[in-house]
Amino acid sequence: MLGVYDFCGHYEWTFEWLRRLGGEPLVCQFWDEAIHQDSQSHAAELILQKGIEGMKQYWGHTLQAEGAGYQAIATEQTFRIDMHACPSRGFLIRNQLHQYHDYCDHCMGWIGPLLKHGKFVVDHQHNHRGQCWWEIRHQSDPTPASAPGQLAGHRDVRLRADWNLSGKPTDTYERSNHPDDKSSKANGSKPGS
Amino acid sequence: MLPYTDSKPVGAADFYFAINATFRFILKRFGLEPLRRYWTELGSDYMAPVSASWKRHGLPGVAEYWRAFFKAEPGADVEVTCQDESVVLEIRQCPAIAHLRKCRREIVPSFCQHCYFLGEAMAAPAGLTVRVEGGNGRCRQTFFRRRAAIPEQDLARIRKAIC
Repeated sequence: MLGVYDFCGHYEWTFEWLRRLGGEPLVCQFWDEAIHQDSQSHAAELILQKGIEGMKQYWGHTLQAEGAGYQAIATEQTFRIDMHACPSRGFLIRNQLHQYHDYCDHCMGWIGPLLKHGKFVVDHQHNHRGQCWWEIRHQSDPTPASAPGQLAGHRDVRLRADWNLSGKPTDTYERSNHPDDKSSKANGSKPGS
Repeated sequence: MLPYTDSKPVGAADFYFAINATFRFILKRFGLEPLRRYWTELGSDYMAPVSASWKRHGLPGVAEYWRAFFKAEPGADVEVTCQDESVVLEIRQCPAIAHLRKCRREIVPSFCQHCYFLGEAMAAPAGLTVRVEGGNGRCRQTFFRRRAAIPEQDLARIRKAIC
């Protein structure tokens, strides 16, 4: 039987299996159709119906269930997550599992299209070491991503001493809805800073 | 005895949604044979550390693996018995089917076949074979030492899953 105790391991393995079968477009279709529209239909229902309140409810439940180290902040206009210890990426790092070239892309792969349906856009960075941040706003709101500490205070993941460790580029998305929108910055430069 | 470790003792049940959705995606796009190939390759590649452990430890290792596995699956009710020639899993409540059903998710009809194709691909490198009987929430899976007298798996003996 395929279990959930090591779900992130075979989930990541599956990305590479699909990439070999149909290239990156098939992987993106999988994130959109299988994860956003099917597996996470409960997230879509909550967020599309309730907007930022739905985001609070969905991520409050799911990140708790997965044992994440995170902080979520909601204002009337913005929903922000600072992920200090991603349980999913952390599982792969701890168990030295690496099949697909960028596991972290799967989040934008399913969340991006979901938010697009709700007319939201995302500012996001991930550093490939289980740390990332997200700011979600309505697409009509031109506000740029916050400066480090501006919204999340001292819990802003960008203020961590290990956020910009050299070696791996930080991937950056600005007002995005698609995993292909990213730019990789070796110096981990910070939007809004 | 599990090859991978997590920081929490039991997995998050909602991940069964993604497992079911992955099967549906491959089935709809490519058909049943490619889905069976996915299960088989997952068993022989991703699960290779489990096969290697079974090869080293034999049937007691198989039993130990499944006991640890089901302890980490939320909502499982499973008895594992190790005999001289086989290990029997009596699955009284499949955690995946139970959660999908509780959450009113449409279950891929061939869902329960994955236990055979995945299990067989894990068992073969260790000189073992598996037979599955039942499904749709309750089944028996028997891991034998591979020998000629054991009949082939009859896929008709694996029930379709329904919500």
